[in-house]
Amino acid sequence: MNNRLKVLRAERNWSQSDLAERLEVSRQSVNAIETGRYDPSLPLAFKIAELFGLAIEDVFASPSKENEQ
Amino acid sequence: MRKGNPAQRRYILRFMPLMTAYVLILFAANRYADAHHPAGLALAMLSILPTLPLLGVILVMGLYLVEERDEFIRNRLIVSMLWGTGILLAVATVWGFLENTGMVGHPPVYLAFPLWCAAFGIVQGVLAIRDRMAGGDE
Repeated sequence: MNNRLKVLRAERNWSQSDLAERLEVSRQSVNAIETGRYDPSLPLAFKIAELFGLAIEDVFASPSKENEQ
Repeated sequence: MRKGNPAQRRYILRFMPLMTAYVLILFAANRYADAHHPAGLALAMLSILPTLPLLGVILVMGLYLVEERDEFIRNRLIVSMLWGTGILLAVATVWGFLENTGMVGHPPVYLAFPLWCAAFGIVQGVLAIRDRMAGGDE
């Protein structure tokens, strides 16, 4: 699933480790989510969105909407 | 710096004493069997004794799966365990048919768990390397 995690992280000057620490997950998890290799669960997706003060759809691209394009 | 997350540290703390106990019990049970040649119920109990720590290891692996809070790591663990199970079933199926036609002998059934562990471990290592190679910014 495409997402803006890398951009949002860069805007705050956070490393993957910084973000991982804030989310209480491993850096590998952040890396896998960021590169689209792993889709987070709904609770983790909410946690990520809330950390950036955004709605989920502002962080993650809806796969169905992507297919429409 | 402490290695691994709390669930991984608990897993190691539980796993190591069980494996130490396994080695010690296996050694002691073999020595006892050689010296006293037990039979019947005593031999059955002596045979089962070394399996108890191994059953503990299976339980500890299950506990780790339940206690791991990092969902990506847990997912990778589950995928590795499924690969381990698939490889074990594949080897057992092929071996069974070869055995049926007399091409190979009958292996000890207790090898099933080490084979599953080896397959699970190798797949987990491969997935970990894949994830590392997938890159990141640090």
